[in-house]
Amino acid sequence: MSLKINSVSKIFNKNTPDEHKGLDNINFSVSDGEFITIIGGNGAGKSTLFNVISGTVLCDSGNIELDGIDITYIPEYKRAAFIGRIFQDPMKGTAPNMTVGENLIIAYMRSTKKNILISPSKKDKLFIRERLSQLGLGLEDRMNTKIGLLSGGQRQAITLVMATLVKPKLLLLDEHTAALDPVSAKSVLELTNKIVLGNNITTLMITHNITSALELGNRTIMMDSGNIAVDIGGSERKNMSVQDLLDKFNKIKNKVFDDDKVLL
Amino acid sequence: MSLVSFIGAIELGLVYSLLAFGSFISFKILNIADLTVDGSFVLGAAASAILAFNGMPYAGVIAAVIAGALAGVVTALLQTKFGIQPILSGILTMTGLYSINLMVMDGKANIPLLNKTNIFTLAETLIGGKTYKIVVLLIIVAFIFAVLNWFFRTQLGLSLRATGDNEAMCKASSIDTDTVKVVGFAISNAIVALSGALLAQMQQSADVNMGSGMVVISFASIIIGSVIIKNRNITLGFLSVIIGSVIYRLIIALILTTKFPPSYLKLISSLVVIIALSIPNIKRKMEINKLRRSINHVS
Repeated sequence: MSLKINSVSKIFNKNTPDEHKGLDNINFSVSDGEFITIIGGNGAGKSTLFNVISGTVLCDSGNIELDGIDITYIPEYKRAAFIGRIFQDPMKGTAPNMTVGENLIIAYMRSTKKNILISPSKKDKLFIRERLSQLGLGLEDRMNTKIGLLSGGQRQAITLVMATLVKPKLLLLDEHTAALDPVSAKSVLELTNKIVLGNNITTLMITHNITSALELGNRTIMMDSGNIAVDIGGSERKNMSVQDLLDKFNKIKNKVFDDDKVLL
Repeated sequence: MSLVSFIGAIELGLVYSLLAFGSFISFKILNIADLTVDGSFVLGAAASAILAFNGMPYAGVIAAVIAGALAGVVTALLQTKFGIQPILSGILTMTGLYSINLMVMDGKANIPLLNKTNIFTLAETLIGGKTYKIVVLLIIVAFIFAVLNWFFRTQLGLSLRATGDNEAMCKASSIDTDTVKVVGFAISNAIVALSGALLAQMQQSADVNMGSGMVVISFASIIIGSVIIKNRNITLGFLSVIIGSVIYRLIIALILTTKFPPSYLKLISSLVVIIALSIPNIKRKMEINKLRRSINHVS
């Protein structure tokens, strides 16, 4: 698996006073098994980057390659067959009036789409139950509960299972713990780490928490004005503190930040 | 109520339960009120009547189902591919269908089918009595009920339910929601047309205006059913639709035994739907007011 973003630009409200460069000729590539955390202020282009990768938004110029295939103009639902995505809002990732089991089956169908008039088999259901039990939240005993009755943290944990039930080529996590309380957020982050590392899933994760951006994953990108300002990995990243990262960012951008508040 | 009008109400209830199945799929499962129904119901009746008139009652029913499905496809394409608002898409198809229905009926506003062979003729000679129509209708309704129960548990059926529940999540799960909607509307309107087709042959006439208010009638049946059986799963949901539809017809038959003028029936249907849909809102407002009053009381 490899992802290549080649000179991608996306400008909103072009030729108006509200013109805003969502992505400004951005270039970067992701290699197999990388777990990249992405930070940056509001409007830096993090979500736009995810939107062009997943196909919610088409880019103005440049192209996107996944595994050597140009996916720039492939519709969103087709890309979703190999790109898993989780949103900030836990309500967005699940169908509230369907049961936990039914939601998971829909996610599982990504791999078995050919038999659309077949009901899910016992084996499929057992597999789903098994994967759900790995969360350790006891949700496997609530397979017939309507998912709308679960808490935000539980729903986000299930969404995580749904996105990775069939191993995606790429997993996009868009501040997926931001709407949760601190305890649930921590537990979902731990689950994320476990699932991503356990299955060796290539992952991009947007976060507003610089500490967890440095703790999780093996590469960190800081975005600014639609481009990449800082891109660090390896031993440099290992020994880096939040302050070091901010200093590095300031040096490059020549802006002054007192602390990380500006970025939060 | 006489036995004849009681049996008549059951017959109508069963026929209209198919109509309500169709609306249940669009309104409750896909979460879109589909007004095509008023037109596709007549389309089914027209196709069935014109073929029965020419001695082909069974072909008439099959043609009705296919024509209804096509009407549903048109509405779905207007919504998904042409981006027209869902309600307006239904109205456009329904309005256009009026002309098409007249065309199917050979330009006549009414096709009488007296003394023509229909799909109930065989059962009449085999079973006879007063209940033979009910037997035929029960078999058809049970068959459609079984098919729908199976379908909504298949992968395509699950995708349909999820599309109505959370479209963004479906796209993220690699479901082509546009295609799913086309399939949903086709099935929904095919069943509605079947309902019209059966009604035309049962009442031995088809009229170009017989579809007006069908959407509201089907909603009323769905709502009455949901009061009696809580829609905990899809099977109970479809079962509640049959029961709701039969009860609705029994209520109408009861009203007709009084001196109440039948011209008010449509108004009553509308009121039933308005009251049922507004109750949750009114209840909540009343609870808030109650809470406010009790707090004022304390202070």
